[in-house]
Amino acid sequence: MSDTITEEKLVSPKEETNEFNQVMKGTSLAADAWRRFKKNKMAFFSLWIVVLYAAIAILAPILPLHPYYAQVIDHANLHPSFKTAGEVQLETRKAYFVKVMAAEGRSEYNEKEKTEIARIEEANKTDPVQKNHYFLGTDALGRDIFSRTVYGGRISMTIGLIGTLAALIIGILVGALAGYVGGKTDNLLMRFVDIMYGLPYMLIVIILMAILGKNLAILFVAIALVSWLTIARVVRGQVISLKNSEYILAARSMGAGAWHIIVKHLIPNTAGIIIAYATLSIPDFIMSESFLSFLGLGVSAPLASWGSLISDGVQGMELYPWILIVPALTMTIFLFAMNFVGDGIRDAFDPQSKNRV
Amino acid sequence: MTDEIILQVKNLRTYFHLDSGVVKAVDGISFDLHKGETLGIVGESGSGKSVTNLSIINLIQTPPGKIEGGEVLFHGDDVLKMNDRQLRELRGDRIAMIFQDPMSSLNPFLKISTQMVETLQLHQKLGRKEARAKAIEMLTLAGIPAAEKRIDCYPHQFSGGMRQRVMIAMGLSCNPDILIADEPTSALDVTIQAQIIELMQDLTRRLGTAVIMITHSLGVVAGMCDTINVMYAGRVVEHGTTDDIFYDTKHPYTQGLIKSVPRLDKPESERLFSIPGQPPNVIDLPDCCPFYPRCHKAMDVCKKQYPPVFKFENGHTCACWLYEQKNAGTVKTATKENTK
Repeated sequence: MSDTITEEKLVSPKEETNEFNQVMKGTSLAADAWRRFKKNKMAFFSLWIVVLYAAIAILAPILPLHPYYAQVIDHANLHPSFKTAGEVQLETRKAYFVKVMAAEGRSEYNEKEKTEIARIEEANKTDPVQKNHYFLGTDALGRDIFSRTVYGGRISMTIGLIGTLAALIIGILVGALAGYVGGKTDNLLMRFVDIMYGLPYMLIVIILMAILGKNLAILFVAIALVSWLTIARVVRGQVISLKNSEYILAARSMGAGAWHIIVKHLIPNTAGIIIAYATLSIPDFIMSESFLSFLGLGVSAPLASWGSLISDGVQGMELYPWILIVPALTMTIFLFAMNFVGDGIRDAFDPQSKNRV
Repeated sequence: MTDEIILQVKNLRTYFHLDSGVVKAVDGISFDLHKGETLGIVGESGSGKSVTNLSIINLIQTPPGKIEGGEVLFHGDDVLKMNDRQLRELRGDRIAMIFQDPMSSLNPFLKISTQMVETLQLHQKLGRKEARAKAIEMLTLAGIPAAEKRIDCYPHQFSGGMRQRVMIAMGLSCNPDILIADEPTSALDVTIQAQIIELMQDLTRRLGTAVIMITHSLGVVAGMCDTINVMYAGRVVEHGTTDDIFYDTKHPYTQGLIKSVPRLDKPESERLFSIPGQPPNVIDLPDCCPFYPRCHKAMDVCKKQYPPVFKFENGHTCACWLYEQKNAGTVKTATKENTK
């Protein structure tokens, strides 16, 4: 019986898919890398964190946040809490008065203190501003730290992205050109890169900012101008090692032009390394922007970046630690996540080389 | 094979200028290629076979290489004088090339379809769909089963023989006049070699393509080629039809090569013949026959001057001092001695 069944199956052309009749499907580099990336739990988890950050940053204008520039002087330096701003303010003032009383040896509020408490209690009933919630507290000018951190993140992440993008575009072009053409062009371009390397990076940015003015666009330009050097070197090295491979010769023997070979054959073959480098350089740019902002050379108020927020927080560190901790922690988590993602991507694209930079 | 000459190489010289001196990789080569002809180029490693062919499509990397002189006339136009655009139109479209190692001559990052369609779009001005259809047709011709599905695979999903089939399909897709095959079978195992050679023979005959076949293997040229160039140290030492080369061998080097082929009809115990010594370093070679240190018939004159090319009947030529004697009778005796 069983024999007849097999024969029928063999004869009938309509068969189900099994191990023997499957179509071989091509796996692209990206699909292959994605498969490996998913196996890396840390990187995959970090990717979700990055996605969350990105979503919050992109959606910030439509999220129910306090305006990041709105100052309520009464609400200065409120600590993180789920209560309304009015209650927190009252608590803070009362706690402060108790301290003053203890210092002056009194057991009752004096007149002035009583009026203030009454005023706050009155305002809590009538003024809608007192109903605000500041989950992560406020800074010295009474601005919502949560909202400022979100908007600061927008700027920091944009700088990371634009810096990386500019670095990629300039770096790949210069590197591929130098590597492919070789000879004098290569020498000239690479010596220029060497010279740029020799100059202190921060100094150039600081000088540029000083000459051209403190302005967000200038900050982008300054970071982009000095950021493409490493990628140019990496791409050049890759292109040199690839350009003598046989398929490049084959492509040339098929009549492909130089530009075609660079764009179609060489750059895709360096893609893995470029992508890994790019992800790992985003946190670098965020760090350097923060550093500049910390020095007061970055974005200026009322705009914020993580660096400028941290810089603000440092001033009242002992009394109001949350002003420092919130942006610092936010940034640290993001940088960690970005680094894990970058490592994951590097391993995914280049599984042979373990932990090579 | 017709009488129409499509490629004429005249006194081609390609040198490599290195720190240690000038390597005369190709030093004055001349030959003609007729329409539909299959020309074999045989010789040891470093005898200038591949450089000759790269020079034909002007693909020598400069520096260090440089084509120092000579002419490569393709339908009467000198390839060496063409500008970049003309060269790009020539390469792949009129003269195609197949490389030695099918493992590395396909871009591992691109699908077969991308790589084939690109060439067709570039040269044949076909639309995307037409180019794809043509590519599938060529792959089918080259013996790739289920080509319409396999075309979307990446090179690593093919075996070596399959990749060489893809390369052949790609090379012939624009219906070139000349197909240059640079040791197309040396990276493959023997059974696949036979298949690939059969395939090349079949396809090129059908399409009327002339083939320049570079190889180490005398077996391959014997089975496939109409005419043969034997190269040694950058020069053609013997040229003739396949029959003439194998049965009326003139040059001592060719004789040595033929003797070194293992044969099934020889007793197993017999030691395989090999030409003693090694090919010379072609840097700063003095004006002598480069083969004389290894030649069993070396004469004094061989050390002093490079031999001129002697012509025999049926286009057979040989560069060896043995044939300097004016009368044909002596030549014949010499030949008889050699073939013993």
